[in-house]
Amino acid sequence: MSLLERNPQAPNAWLGDLPVTSRYTAGIAGEKFFRAMKDEGKILGTFCENCDITYIPGRIFCERCMAELDHWQDVGTIGEIYTFTLLFENLDGTQREEPLAVAFIRMGDGGLIHQLGEVDLEDISIGMPVEAVFKPKSKRQGSILDIQYFRPLTE
Amino acid sequence: MTNKFKEFPGTPLSEGDFKEGKILFYHDQMKADFAWDTGVAIGSYLAALKEGYLLGGYCQTCRKTVIPPRTVCEWCFRPMDSYVRLEDTGTVNTFSLCYVTWDVKRIKEPELPAVIEIDGASPLHGIMHKLGEVDPEDVHIGMRVRAVWKPPDEREGAITDILYFKPFKEGES
Repeated sequence: MSLLERNPQAPNAWLGDLPVTSRYTAGIAGEKFFRAMKDEGKILGTFCENCDITYIPGRIFCERCMAELDHWQDVGTIGEIYTFTLLFENLDGTQREEPLAVAFIRMGDGGLIHQLGEVDLEDISIGMPVEAVFKPKSKRQGSILDIQYFRPLTE
Repeated sequence: MTNKFKEFPGTPLSEGDFKEGKILFYHDQMKADFAWDTGVAIGSYLAALKEGYLLGGYCQTCRKTVIPPRTVCEWCFRPMDSYVRLEDTGTVNTFSLCYVTWDVKRIKEPELPAVIEIDGASPLHGIMHKLGEVDPEDVHIGMRVRAVWKPPDEREGAITDILYFKPFKEGES
């Protein structure tokens, strides 16, 4: 005889959770980038003269030639939709009534991933020019969500 | 090696920098819920704890009694033969005075984790638990201890259904 039968009285599973928390610092470049976003409503990039590349968001070294970059510049708030997707589910897996449009917005030689707003979902297209809409200054916290969304550029 | 360096690269940060909002940071909490299948043997062990007794496993070939029970014998790799109900008394095999909690906070009164050889199991077989109702100075290897159980209605089928083990003298109930 061997022990093969489960005890029907026994708990089937042991439930638990792991207390895993993390703190992610913006870093030297991130600090500068998000401070400018929070305090001035600006998007900053860095320019590598050697490689003729404008990094957005700004970086402190060139990924191509490894040179230190300290040429910070205001790159404006306008970009172009490089690619986009419509999300029908929230992070927790629940269904959304209105899909969320998320796009990679090409700016300079880099860009930002953000959501689109003030736009008819049918009208979104690759190559569409969009501009950042910032939250009011009092509500900005130094995060990427200080930009509320990107909306189509109106002439 | 390290004393060659006078200055280290990088940006040192203190807890104050976070608290005073000098730097930007993002706090995140991972959702790390899990469900661990108790299996046949440990399931029975936990069910027994809820009932208020300790359960071991017996291998006829090796004549070994182990606690907690397993389905396979560790020595001969044959299936274990039966469950055995064990006493809730035992002998301290090893112990420690622990002045930090699991999340590394200092405490004045030490926790007393110990490995307790359970009576009825083979020699040197036991479980890890805490000692209680004892002066840390008096704890010693070979000390006889008995389990102090939670009241039956509060037991949930967990090792914490035993609150701790406390010393007793032979002959006392």
